[in-house]
Amino acid sequence: MTRARVFARLASALGPVWAFLAVLCAGFLLILAISSDPLLAYRDLLLSNFASASNFALFLNRLMPLLLIGLGVIFSFRAGVFNIGGEGQLYLGAIAAASVALALPNLPHALALALPIAASVLAGAVYGWIPGALKVGLEVNEVVSTLMLNFVALLLTEYLVTNPLRDPVAYGAVSYVVPHSSWLAEIPGLPGSTVGSIVAIAIAPIAWVSLFRTAWGANLRAAGSNMRFAETVGVHGKRLVLQAMAISGGLAGLAGGFYVLGIGHRFEQNFSPSFGLVGLTVALLARLHPIGLVATAAIYALILNGAAYMQIDTDVPRSLVALLTGILVLIMTMRPRRGPAEA
Amino acid sequence: MPEDVSTPVLQLLGVSKQFGGKVALDHVDLDVESGEIHVICGENGAGKTTLMNIVAGIVRPDEGEIRIAGRAVRLADPTDAARVGVGMVHQHFKLIASMTVAENLYLNRQPRKFGFVSDRAAMRAGAEALIRHYRFELDPDAPVSRLSVGQRQRVEILKALGFDARLLILDEPTAVLTPPEVDELLRIMGQLKAAERAILFITHKLNEAKAVADRITVLRHGRRISTRPARALSEAAIALDMVGREMRPPHRTAGPAANARPVLTVSGLTMTTANGRRLVDDVGFSIAAGEILGVAGVDGNGQTELSEATAGLAAVQSGSIVLNGRDVTAAGVRERRRAGLSFIPEDRLDRGLSVSMSVAENLCAGLYRRKELVGPGGLVRARAREAFVSATLRRFDVRGGSPSLPVGRLSGGNMQKIVIAREMEQDPAVLIVAQPTRGLDVGATEFVHGRILAAADNGCAVLLISSELSEIFALSDRIAVMFRGRILSIVARGEATEKSIGLMMSGERAAA
Repeated sequence: MTRARVFARLASALGPVWAFLAVLCAGFLLILAISSDPLLAYRDLLLSNFASASNFALFLNRLMPLLLIGLGVIFSFRAGVFNIGGEGQLYLGAIAAASVALALPNLPHALALALPIAASVLAGAVYGWIPGALKVGLEVNEVVSTLMLNFVALLLTEYLVTNPLRDPVAYGAVSYVVPHSSWLAEIPGLPGSTVGSIVAIAIAPIAWVSLFRTAWGANLRAAGSNMRFAETVGVHGKRLVLQAMAISGGLAGLAGGFYVLGIGHRFEQNFSPSFGLVGLTVALLARLHPIGLVATAAIYALILNGAAYMQIDTDVPRSLVALLTGILVLIMTMRPRRGPAEA
Repeated sequence: MPEDVSTPVLQLLGVSKQFGGKVALDHVDLDVESGEIHVICGENGAGKTTLMNIVAGIVRPDEGEIRIAGRAVRLADPTDAARVGVGMVHQHFKLIASMTVAENLYLNRQPRKFGFVSDRAAMRAGAEALIRHYRFELDPDAPVSRLSVGQRQRVEILKALGFDARLLILDEPTAVLTPPEVDELLRIMGQLKAAERAILFITHKLNEAKAVADRITVLRHGRRISTRPARALSEAAIALDMVGREMRPPHRTAGPAANARPVLTVSGLTMTTANGRRLVDDVGFSIAAGEILGVAGVDGNGQTELSEATAGLAAVQSGSIVLNGRDVTAAGVRERRRAGLSFIPEDRLDRGLSVSMSVAENLCAGLYRRKELVGPGGLVRARAREAFVSATLRRFDVRGGSPSLPVGRLSGGNMQKIVIAREMEQDPAVLIVAQPTRGLDVGATEFVHGRILAAADNGCAVLLISSELSEIFALSDRIAVMFRGRILSIVARGEATEKSIGLMMSGERAAA
């Protein structure tokens, strides 16, 4: 790689950093206008995540689903399928993990972990495969089908958690607590965290390699960018689309499984503050790049969690964050045009 | 508007333009008289389109002066250009498919009632008057989506003429047209010329240039090489100016071997649409190793379907396709490619390439089963791929393309070279080539023809589908004519004349 190309790479990687800094400045002006203690508000927003081990654990917990769903979005979008069904796939993965763990309480520890995790991946994968098959076979628009399937998943899990799985002594619509043998370990030194977050971070480079450094990934992106071209050069494009959708759903399902086994330890209705939508946003902000996604997901997790501390300590409402993330999306999707159009 | 005969409609003086340090135009002078058809010729990248964009107000020149009817003008945007009477028809149409012809003609200048409601009756009447005035065959109420390419182009021309354009710019208008549509367009140009409009006509098809031009200007590397009356000019002289060297039509070194075995045999091939219309009707032929079979015919007579069926991309109703003695009628694309079949599709942007992917990825697509490119675990060997790609780019003379550049940024000729490089790299036993030089300039055409002939010399059986008769005659050993899905007859090139084939293309069966 030439030096010029290294610089070009660095410059394009720095773009989002500048955008983030610009948003922080804009946000500071806003807080200055409404708050009596702007410095404290900003310190809370940015630094509380690192103030204690348990705060940092919460940050990682928030990062995990965003990363996994975002990676799933990257696989499906790169295959040319606009899968916006991450939320539904997440819920199905979560309920599948909870159901299997509750149904088989007396398994040895390894199996008690492996089976629910496998169930969550499988449930998500099947749920992603369905709109993929509908698109490939019947040309059903995947935006519509994945969006609709979100409602199906949400209502199905709602039924399950308010009826057969409901823990009658707990407050709210939650399932029984899954047996201890099915709990994911904490990251040592970070109480309340889960090794699921480490797994999620580790999957990002694997996703990058498989998409950009394997023949499979090249074929997948060929199918995603021009299906007729892929067919012409002998790539089984439709098969790859189905695989990408299964992976996409499987990753979102895994996020649900990790949440139940590592964070909530039970299925909770409304456990997701729109992880599906935010996962989609961070994947698009990362321009569908798995490594960039780690950064954008981390930024989102940081300010989403930081906002909670800020609201407790100061008079700044946490809805400020919606404003900040809105500005961030705006800045990062801007394409300033320099000079006249090329002929 | 009686104009002084000595004042040209358009005059360019020393126009220069650079794009990021690269010189696109270097002090170009040009003048166009009213009632003149002025052809601009040049290879891809010679600066033709930049020059036209400057006249149409899309690009501003760095240097030089534009005079319209003798007055120096500064054109800030296309609206400015339209105001001084310049209309442009782009290579890629800029129509709104869901709107009617009348609505497209009146886009952004709709007549209004009460100041804000569009007056559809007035608009329709105006459109009809305009269509009648130029005697175009168009229905003002037809949605553009239902028009043929030729009809859409007529809408574009009307739109560009508006009601008072004095200078009409046509940017490679024939690239997308079928031969009868080209004839119709050339007739229309003659008509506009008679109406004292000035026309700037960009093309790299020399026969068209010769057919309609009053004067021909040749550009090369952004410079004006010559401006001469078309009458006394030979096509060879124009080509010499365009390329800057003598053209050497490629020749076969080895002819097809006598009684070579057939490599590709197609028999009784029939394809129908969902409602039973026959697209390909009982087509049969066989091609021997080292032989080129040219399929001539006006576009839309089943050639596309035939090529896709042979490549394995479309299902057939009945018939068989035998490759190297093996029946592959039911086999998929991948299997056929492994059996030695390569396919250069007619539209490189549709099937040939993925424009958003890089040059390297487009070159290697479909080649990943090779051991030297892919290592264990399906990992691509980056260094081996880099070496393979740069060697191939050199061998196929692809200019201006680094391996990581998105392929869509290349010129049409270089894009086509990428497709050809990929397909030839497989050392095919059978090569299907459809419209291999569509939209290419003379230099690139010469190169592509040389490659096809070289493949045949290496023993490849070539099925060449082209609607350019000159191409068919330059390359084929035998010539088949397709008409309404049928092959009318197959004749040896020596026994065919352009006239006899041309007659058959219009459906007249040779007396046999």
